[in-house]
Amino acid sequence: MCPARIESFRYYGSFDMRIAGLQKVFDSNVVAIDHLSLEIQPGEFVAILGPSGCGKSTLLRIIAGLEKPTAGTIEINREKIAYVFQDAHLLPWRNVLQNAVLPLELMRTNRSDRTAAAREALEQVGLVDAVEQYPAQLSGGMKMRVSLARALVTKPDFLLLDEPFAALDEINRQKLDEQLRQLWTRHRMTVIFVTHSTAEATFLANRAIVLSTRPGRIVADLPIDLPEDRRSDVRSSPKFAEITHQIYEALEKGGA
Amino acid sequence: MMRRMAILCGFCASLIGGCNKKTPPTATGPVAIQLTLDWKPEPEFGGFYAAAQDGAFNRHNLSPNITPAGEGADTWQLVATGKTDFATSSADQVLIARKQNADVVAIFAVYQTFPQGIMVHQSRGFKTLRDVFTQHGVLLAEDNSWLHFLENKFAPVEVEMSYYSGGISEFLAKKDISQQCFVTSEPILAKHQGGDPQTFLIADEGFNPYTTVVICKGDLVKTHPDEVKAMADACREGWRDYLDHPDAVNTTMHGLNPDMDLQTFGEAAAAQKPLIETDETRSSGLGTMTGQRWKDLAAQLVSLGLIDASVDPGQCFVNP
Amino acid sequence: MTHARKILIALWPPALVLIAAIVVIGIWAKMLAEPFMLPTPQAVAQVMVERRGELLASLWTTTQAALIGFLASAISGVAVGMALSASTLVRRAFYPYTVFFQTVPIVAIAPLLMIWCGPGLTAVSLCAFVVSVFPVISSTLSGLLSTDPALEDLFRLYGASPWARQWKLKLPYALPSIFTGLRVAAGLAVIGTVVGEFLVGLFGQEEGLGVRIVSAKKQGRTAEVFAAVLIASLLGLAMFACINLAAKLLLGRWHASEQEQR
Repeated sequence: MCPARIESFRYYGSFDMRIAGLQKVFDSNVVAIDHLSLEIQPGEFVAILGPSGCGKSTLLRIIAGLEKPTAGTIEINREKIAYVFQDAHLLPWRNVLQNAVLPLELMRTNRSDRTAAAREALEQVGLVDAVEQYPAQLSGGMKMRVSLARALVTKPDFLLLDEPFAALDEINRQKLDEQLRQLWTRHRMTVIFVTHSTAEATFLANRAIVLSTRPGRIVADLPIDLPEDRRSDVRSSPKFAEITHQIYEALEKGGA
Repeated sequence: MMRRMAILCGFCASLIGGCNKKTPPTATGPVAIQLTLDWKPEPEFGGFYAAAQDGAFNRHNLSPNITPAGEGADTWQLVATGKTDFATSSADQVLIARKQNADVVAIFAVYQTFPQGIMVHQSRGFKTLRDVFTQHGVLLAEDNSWLHFLENKFAPVEVEMSYYSGGISEFLAKKDISQQCFVTSEPILAKHQGGDPQTFLIADEGFNPYTTVVICKGDLVKTHPDEVKAMADACREGWRDYLDHPDAVNTTMHGLNPDMDLQTFGEAAAAQKPLIETDETRSSGLGTMTGQRWKDLAAQLVSLGLIDASVDPGQCFVNP
Repeated sequence: MTHARKILIALWPPALVLIAAIVVIGIWAKMLAEPFMLPTPQAVAQVMVERRGELLASLWTTTQAALIGFLASAISGVAVGMALSASTLVRRAFYPYTVFFQTVPIVAIAPLLMIWCGPGLTAVSLCAFVVSVFPVISSTLSGLLSTDPALEDLFRLYGASPWARQWKLKLPYALPSIFTGLRVAAGLAVIGTVVGEFLVGLFGQEEGLGVRIVSAKKQGRTAEVFAAVLIASLLGLAMFACINLAAKLLLGRWHASEQEQR
């Protein structure tokens, strides 16, 4: 088992992230990821799917720098990464605005700039009226939108999301999917979106990567050939169903 | 049916038989009494242990159970509520008890002279007890009537006063700490442990209650005068015995209170003699009390605000 | 729902408690009172009126010591909790010894206090401190160690300094737990003060409630004993209420414990 090398360098254009031979073994000798290699281009919207426990969350955390791989290399510019968790995880003693502004506060941006950026981000997720409210007063969907705004406030180049909408009801979930897709078309950051839902992956992404059961290996790497501008009606198109089915078959093949 | 009756009868008979065992002893057997002391076994109680040990109680038809002090209620409260037959207390406590409508009465006074004193470090150079109270320092004492008397006499008081919890360790540790003491014990103990004690007798300042007085319910005096007289006589004999031959009893008490060594027991027993046996007792008998002394004490307590005029000092004692 | 009905619903639990209290006091007055041991409630009320000057002076003395002891516990308890939360090694080395504060009997250290500080405010406050500090340490530590791991990840992601992690995340997160500890400490501080006064309290004009309790007992004034005890409990209650108020102010907007019941 060779020790991991993590190289970080300035983005110069040909790829945004490259992983080679990545492996992650936990203390309990559980091999979460085994020899995974992946390259992602800037501006791609990549969905990662796989059965429970296949290591997709671990992969995301390694990409974000929250975990260290046991072996393999990962080349990525980590200067502007944002992360959205499965639950909103807001600071309950801060109101919506103060939560959204947190990343810039931690990065020591000056007060007026960061407040303006936070307001802008909240506007983009449609929460500009709720800036004074506290998380205890918000619904699940609103909390998740604050979490999203918090991720966007640094104008990230790289947005990582770990099943962020899984706990919401269907209507809220689809609304947020649409909102996310619009934000992406506007800002064109690179997005890696982990999900369980084939429909969500098809709607959001232009590339779907399917992982096998543990230890996670890439079973399929499918392009999603749907129009750039996607509204809710695209969900009922035949192409949509076909792609969803393709992903589903890949999941089955991977042992899901 | 008949068998069951027989068993039932037998059961009842044994119950009754058992009850019979619990009937009180006949008038010719010794009367069981409880005597509760207000401190640990020390020479101040020598006469009582002597009376038990050398048969004085037996001779007067009493079977005593002597228990040393416990935490909690004052001894007069124990007597007033019937938890004990007899106890030791002090004259000022008796007056205070009677103010609270507790019917307790003194029947025998061990100390004719108040044995409480204040022990100070000789190196402080105090000349009088007034100096102790009006100069800087710490005094450890119980919050008793004599303290109020002295505070009043030496007002305004400079010294800081707080609780005395027994022993002499704080006194030995720090020069500016003084403490209350029984003139017959703590100073002797302190000298043995290398301290430089100097003692002032509180009685010299004019406060002189009878101390280590045996008390009982006033009721008892009316209904069982013989028992009360027997108790007083037994105490008298016991104290006579102890004053003359303290050693054997000291050994017994040391066994019950190992914190005080035998040598100190001996010295204390000797030191306390003049406080117990005076010219008065030589003529009227050990332990007797006078109405005048009680009146004077009552007047002092009234002026200190500790009791009021409703308490009749004449009711506080008897010489059975 | 009509306004009147709302008031009724809000009032019936405390009203029930009041009625129960009256019944208990009635039983006390008629059946339980014993001469010299347990005074009647009327006697206690009477002495509270008659000697209110002295009782208030004692209350003031005791309050000072209790407040000083409590504040010392609060500040140092949180500080020690923060220090212990910093490293596992430090925690394993020192935490067991903080339990010493929980278990040491004040009676044992009182003579030492008498020698080091002399009787009075310092010594009594120290008693209050010793008795009340451990719950603050323990609850602070527990609160600091239970930060949401996802939030810790978030802070790490954005390169937060350790100072930012401590003051913007861990400490606010631990506040509800710290307040629980402070509530316990308040009551203990009052107890510690009164017990401290039993042992190292200063006699005299400004004697504290603890000294007054012993003094009154010695002089057979049992009604005054009970009055002083009652006042001491009220002090504990008042401190407790203050902390609840502070909790409401700081936690009210965001913590479940301060939210209205659904």
